[in-house]
Amino acid sequence: MNIELTVNGVRREFTIAPGETLLELLRRTGYKGVKKGCEAGDCGACAVLLDGRAVNSCLVLAAKVDGHTVITVEGLADDGTLAPLQEAFLDTGAVQCGYCTPGMLIAATDLLNRNPRPSEEEIKEGLSGNLCRCTGYVKQVEAVKLALTRMNGGNDA
Amino acid sequence: MPNHGQPPVKERTRSVEGFTVVRHNLRKVDGIPLVTGKPKFVADIDLPNTLYVKILRSPYAHARIVDINTARAEALPGVALVLTYKNTPQRRFTTAGQGYPEPSPYDTRMFDTKVRFVGDRVAAVAAETREIAEAALKVIEVKYEEIPAALSIDAALAPDAPVIHDEDDATGIYDPKHNIVADVDIDVGNVTQGFTKSDVTVETTCELQYAQHTPIEPHVVLSYLDEDDRLVLRTSTQVPFHVRRIVAYALDYPVRNIRVIKPRIGGGFGTKQEILLEDIAAIVTLRTRRPALIELTRPEEFISARTRHPMRIRVKLGAKSDGTLRAMEMEAISNTGAYGSHGLTVLSNVGSKTLPLYNKAEDVHFYGKAVYTNLPVAGAYRGYGATQGYFALETAMDALAEKLGIDPVELRRKNHIRTGETSPIFVKLGEGREGVEQVIRSCALDKCIDIGMERIDWNARHGKRIRDGSWVHGLGMSVHMQGSGIARIDMGAATIKMNEDGSFNLLIGATDLGTGSDTILGQIAAEALGVPLEKIIVYSSDTDMTPFDVGAYASSTTYVSGMAVKRAADEVKAQIIKVAAQIMGTAPDGLVLADEHVSAPSGKSTSLSEVCHYALYQADQFQIGATASFVPDESPPPFMASFAEVAVDTDTGFVKVVNYVAAVDCGTPINPKLAQGQVEGALANGIGYALTEEMLLSPHGGVRNPNLFDYKILGALDIPPIEVILVDSYEPTGPLGAKSVGEIGINAPIPTIANAIYDAVGVRLRHTPFTPERVLAAIRDKDRL
Amino acid sequence: MSLPKVSEFVRPTDLAAALHELESVNARIVAGGIDVVLFPGDTTKLVDISGIPLSGINSDAEGIVIGATTTMTALIESPLIADYLGGVVTTMLHHLASPLQRNLATIGGTLISAHPWSDVIPLFLVLGARVSYYDGTEHTVPIAQFYAESMFRQRIILTAVRLPAFPPGTAAAFIKFSRTAFDIAVLNCAALVQITAGRCTAARIAVGGAPQRGYLLPHAGEVLTKSGALTAEIIASAARTARDEADISDDMRASAAYRRNLVEVGVQRALGQIKDKLEAGV
Repeated sequence: MNIELTVNGVRREFTIAPGETLLELLRRTGYKGVKKGCEAGDCGACAVLLDGRAVNSCLVLAAKVDGHTVITVEGLADDGTLAPLQEAFLDTGAVQCGYCTPGMLIAATDLLNRNPRPSEEEIKEGLSGNLCRCTGYVKQVEAVKLALTRMNGGNDA
Repeated sequence: MPNHGQPPVKERTRSVEGFTVVRHNLRKVDGIPLVTGKPKFVADIDLPNTLYVKILRSPYAHARIVDINTARAEALPGVALVLTYKNTPQRRFTTAGQGYPEPSPYDTRMFDTKVRFVGDRVAAVAAETREIAEAALKVIEVKYEEIPAALSIDAALAPDAPVIHDEDDATGIYDPKHNIVADVDIDVGNVTQGFTKSDVTVETTCELQYAQHTPIEPHVVLSYLDEDDRLVLRTSTQVPFHVRRIVAYALDYPVRNIRVIKPRIGGGFGTKQEILLEDIAAIVTLRTRRPALIELTRPEEFISARTRHPMRIRVKLGAKSDGTLRAMEMEAISNTGAYGSHGLTVLSNVGSKTLPLYNKAEDVHFYGKAVYTNLPVAGAYRGYGATQGYFALETAMDALAEKLGIDPVELRRKNHIRTGETSPIFVKLGEGREGVEQVIRSCALDKCIDIGMERIDWNARHGKRIRDGSWVHGLGMSVHMQGSGIARIDMGAATIKMNEDGSFNLLIGATDLGTGSDTILGQIAAEALGVPLEKIIVYSSDTDMTPFDVGAYASSTTYVSGMAVKRAADEVKAQIIKVAAQIMGTAPDGLVLADEHVSAPSGKSTSLSEVCHYALYQADQFQIGATASFVPDESPPPFMASFAEVAVDTDTGFVKVVNYVAAVDCGTPINPKLAQGQVEGALANGIGYALTEEMLLSPHGGVRNPNLFDYKILGALDIPPIEVILVDSYEPTGPLGAKSVGEIGINAPIPTIANAIYDAVGVRLRHTPFTPERVLAAIRDKDRL
Repeated sequence: MSLPKVSEFVRPTDLAAALHELESVNARIVAGGIDVVLFPGDTTKLVDISGIPLSGINSDAEGIVIGATTTMTALIESPLIADYLGGVVTTMLHHLASPLQRNLATIGGTLISAHPWSDVIPLFLVLGARVSYYDGTEHTVPIAQFYAESMFRQRIILTAVRLPAFPPGTAAAFIKFSRTAFDIAVLNCAALVQITAGRCTAARIAVGGAPQRGYLLPHAGEVLTKSGALTAEIIASAARTARDEADISDDMRASAAYRRNLVEVGVQRALGQIKDKLEAGV
């Protein structure tokens, strides 16, 4: 069957199998930043923004999102300019192996879009569906805080 | 404006204690592609005509394969190849990616006529799609003859136990008839007399569970033939050079025709120090001339990848009444599962990475066995035996302190090793063989303890049992050492060559598995060559393009590979100075390389770009460049003091870590943030291992919770505040004073939390993980007494 | 993992059409879709109901009506839900799955999946929620009855769940024990108490993940209504009754004996919270 999907701002038509997941579709059509870690919604590595909200793309049927809007990690930077969260992840050492990073960035983006001043606990809750085995989450939480400070015009020096 | 490469120049060139690049928190050299989702990982490239490979696994813990009929699978449209023992090489090898000759037995075949655990390889199918491959697995007919299985250490050691490796062509097994893969027994002095002379003794036995690494990227390999028909293995590995050697051996295929590339990989922690898929991918590609992709699903990862060695460890300590340790005895029984991967060396490290910490004891006995069982296969896992050993040793130390009436901190202070000291264990016990004599040249453990005590508020909060409803708070601590590489075994090499713009290619075999080693090795080169990090083009882990390195394990990279980089950079620097002298018409003596220029005392200077142009195009032309290697004579340990406050719910047994403080001495931190990140990640993994992570086994030996839904690793909400403090020392044998820091953190949470639970509620947990049910049972048992 | 058996995907725009599509063998509704992907079984045809206007949170004199395809996130972010009974539903939802899954999961989907570990079910049982479903005509039944009878009928479409309004003097609490924050319950527990003129006139207590699906503990509730008071002693007595009354078994997460202890602790804590809330006048 065919669906239309706006991915990272580009409207595209895809031919899909009726039982195909959004994760499979995105990876096979070149969005390799969407990672596969468990295919069961447990790890969050495959998170994308679906109509602005972060979801496990492994749990979404592609057929269901016909006509909707998806943003993957590839779509977070604006014309080569990194998003504040991406900058902050680099500056705080929040990226180790980088495999969970796309999903973390997506989850954090959703969080900051709807809650511009989250508490530390709210940041942790916002990242709680994204497993990371490298960092212990310390620097990822720090990264979200740093991005917030910078987005609110604060000085982190 | 955002700066995509590095922080601004002025910040970068600011000197931190004499360093301009090292000791700076520079961004990772591979950071930008990782935050923008570039196709950096194994399965992120699409090759035309790729075959998808799935593996059929044994449903039985122990069985002979009487026959396999693959006709129906082969007849399915879209199936390209079916592999079984009938059409694959039958050479035995080890899956352990270690130096050569490997200290692990050659007890594994690509496909065998016997299966030894639930999940063991039976067959593989290469097909046009994953769905076809999965469908084909279902129609392979296997005739099994079940054999009694040994599903515990005790069952495997029983007199009438089934022999798990009864084949006659396995080599390197200590005692195959009795399921013993390895045996270690070393003595210093006479421990029996030592205990007799002790005023106080304590003894404790601890058991550690099956637990898994769970990198977020499961094992994955993509193989293909390049345009010259050479086999390329693009694989998620910690050990690219060992992969090349072991695959060449297993397939009896020339090393020269294999290229192994490790792109970015999604974590390893030891499980990717193992050849689990590459041999199958290689044979599929060689037979079909087509690319082949194998990616483990999460359940397959749990069932068939490696685990930490579960162990039973008994420790007995004897001390004089003033707290000086007199005698130490440690016995370790390790369950290596169905294959002997890392069996001997992990067992050795239970003692060799723990007992030297307390070098005041005159009499020491360490002995143990690694035992085959028909259970999931253990392998290398961050901490590598030390993690297991420290549970027993550091909880016994806590019990000893109590018995002596000494503060646990003071007991450690009285007995831990210090700069200028040695331990007889260093010589007696190495990694799978005798060790190497070594004197500690850097140790800031005293300072680590001071800082940790202060940060956790030890004196005010330890022993106070502060109550908050049904929650009782307690403090615990432990101290640790690890190593930096394997002395006289590990080897790393680095090549540096210079380019016209004053940049340098740094080619290293060292394997960055997310640790940041590409970055810190680049920093070491940049520091030595007087350039900013962006002038170092780091390329690593490609057996065609980079020099050899053993890979990322045994906390070797910073120290071993770092020294290789330092040496190569120093050689290149000498060449640069010589050329610069020629350009400037001065003597090389007194020339200084800094800020991308060579300067003479006279004030004359020449840029690195000019130096390279001169060398490549103008006179006495040559490529400025060098390759250097490093083999350590010693394995200088990083040290750590670990402190935690926990709260125990006496109604439910839930344990909450309230606060964690770790002070770590890793010599010079090359990139402090990345070093801290190593410790934070290791602690988080260790806290999960202490509290929630446990592979549950069925009565038939299968894994009952093979997914991240049932096997719980910690998430962001579960992590306590973790404070990691890097405490300075300078390791004279290391690169710019550095030691390695990758593993040490994971050893600490189990004993630290166990000791804190004791401080809170007075029960000693001896079986990990400390689940609410276990903790509550222990509290209730104690109350009954 | 994609679902290779699925060969048809339809998007009806009204309930009658959806019901008609469900007549095919192995047809199944997709709402959020999580459980369809995780547990596809023999499903060959998917009937996506997100085109039917079933989403939304509204209040009326009788309480709050939540449309079946309302997501958990929409509930968490809803001021109506936050104001309902001291925010007990919001509290429960923060413990449920992860934000990523809550952005997908629908209230109807979770009630139909009815996982044994469901955090929603025990709380909705004590709230006396009512479930509306369509099988050609609209029905609204108490949630307990829904699980006893309707749920197992072929071809129904859950359309809404209704949370009743309570008079002042009513409070509820939800307690969850799980190994990590993002985990299903080893045991969960919900309670509701209504005080009229200083006396406990209604009390409901439920547990879930025991490890079977949540259910009410009527005897434990009666301890409160019979005595009429909400003292520490009565709470302890109700908790002990719950402990004895609960139907508990082993699974790999915990033994029955351990769970039974959690029932007592959970009920005690839930009632303790309720007592505090009532005393604080929340």
